[in-house]
Amino acid sequence: MAKTYEEINEKIRKKQAVVVTAEEMIDIVEADGAKDAAKKVDVVTTGTFGPMCSSGALLNIGHTTPRMKIQKAWLDGVPAYSGIAAIDLYVGATELPEEDPANKVFPGEFSHGGGHVIENLVRGQDVALKATAYGTDCYPRKELETLINIEDLNEAVLLNPRNAYQNYNVAVNAGTARPIYTYLGVLRPRMANANYSSAGQLSPLLNDPHYRTIGIGTRIFLGGGVGYVSFHGTQHNPGEQRSPNGTPRGGAGTLAVVGDLKGMSTDYLRGVSLTGYGVSLALGVGIPIPVLDEEMAAFTAVRDSDIYAPVIDYFNNYPNNEGEPLGHVSYGELRSGTIEIQGKRIRTASLSSYAKAREIAQKLKQWIEAGSFLLGRPVDPLPGAESGKTFKLLKTRPPKLSNRIGRK
Amino acid sequence: MIQQSAILNFPKALIDSPVISHVIRNYDVEVNILQAHITPEEDGHMFAIFSGEKSSVNGAFEYLKKSTIQVILPTRNLVWNEEHCVHCTACVGQCPSAAFTVDQKTFKVDYNEKRCIACKLCIPACSYNAVESASDYLRRTGEL
Repeated sequence: MAKTYEEINEKIRKKQAVVVTAEEMIDIVEADGAKDAAKKVDVVTTGTFGPMCSSGALLNIGHTTPRMKIQKAWLDGVPAYSGIAAIDLYVGATELPEEDPANKVFPGEFSHGGGHVIENLVRGQDVALKATAYGTDCYPRKELETLINIEDLNEAVLLNPRNAYQNYNVAVNAGTARPIYTYLGVLRPRMANANYSSAGQLSPLLNDPHYRTIGIGTRIFLGGGVGYVSFHGTQHNPGEQRSPNGTPRGGAGTLAVVGDLKGMSTDYLRGVSLTGYGVSLALGVGIPIPVLDEEMAAFTAVRDSDIYAPVIDYFNNYPNNEGEPLGHVSYGELRSGTIEIQGKRIRTASLSSYAKAREIAQKLKQWIEAGSFLLGRPVDPLPGAESGKTFKLLKTRPPKLSNRIGRK
Repeated sequence: MIQQSAILNFPKALIDSPVISHVIRNYDVEVNILQAHITPEEDGHMFAIFSGEKSSVNGAFEYLKKSTIQVILPTRNLVWNEEHCVHCTACVGQCPSAAFTVDQKTFKVDYNEKRCIACKLCIPACSYNAVESASDYLRRTGEL
């Protein structure tokens, strides 16, 4: 007998809902089977915490006197995009201060950037805003230098076009010359180490592999506060090859998410400095999955040993879009500390924090048990494999004279 | 048998000499070179672990010092700022001496300073400024 969102939410309101984490669900389904587990459990909570590029904060700073239509803006020296309106600013997680030496002295440190500005805002720290404008009749002000604080902003919204990747690559350096510095960390030559970044059996989209319940409008844990799935994420690629349990064998689905930055916490939102690569934002995302029926019970009981990720060479193959994966390994193997690729034992490390993922799933469970967090029924589903949507490479074409800016 | 990490600073006059080869052949020690920066016409720097009988390792260090190489045996190695750590384990994958480990039950990172050999491979691997060299730490806190 299938359950409905309304039935589950009614139980949550009455504090009678049975909520377990995706880790706890594994044992329940093993002991009782998916059919009985579906009767017993109402909601499974998931969690993930790791660097999530394609994140940023949208700030409305309030009007100055006289008014100003900001043309260029910097937050603690980091450029913020202002080509939206007069006083709306968007600071992206990977943005660097203009004077940052980047990789001029290799590998660069990248100690400060957009992700750190967002962390500082959430921490309640004052942030320096500098802005310039050309001035108009209705917005005459041309310069601004001030401190701002998240408390005083009209809106501070975390607005992320792509988070919570459903599975990801395991990165190695198959070169022999030197260590490489990637967004998956420092990789030593001759495949001396392998880095991965997924919460595996706790990860949201790996527990709902075909996007049956996670869709547009789903209410989620975001950075320690409440957020929502706003759309499918950029690079959403549902057609990725899948294992018999439905989980993709490489990066597949992604989520665009949105939430009030004012309700978030630096326990679950941190600026990231990736040596030799750049800056980003580490973020905690937790998604509740309603156990509507036996199939959802089985999906949410997926375990690390049954989820596979591709091992990719980041020295040559990844940067040049060449070659095939060097193999596939399970998250059970990855989390054990070593994997074997082409007969070689390789030490593994995770860029995402399993300990934090667990904390998030527990916290979300507590919120739901307390009756304060209801499940959002998606208003529309995410595109599934049947949509034919794929992740394409760019075919470059030379621009024409008519593409030139300002040509009439 | 002992294992001792050492920072070696080579004067540029010695860059062309096979110093480490001499140490291995004459003192019966194993040398695991973790970092080396040797460029012609410049001073050279190396970080390595020497293993062997105590007398052999000490003999090797004596030879190196006599060859005008500065030998630094690190005491306090690095500082783990746990309050900055998110327990991602990126450091664990770099650490050659199991000073950083991950608990297979809690999946939290732990640091055992006694095992640290000061190779500093964890520092660029940490994205959250949670590990810093002892000298940076002492400088930052004003203890140096």
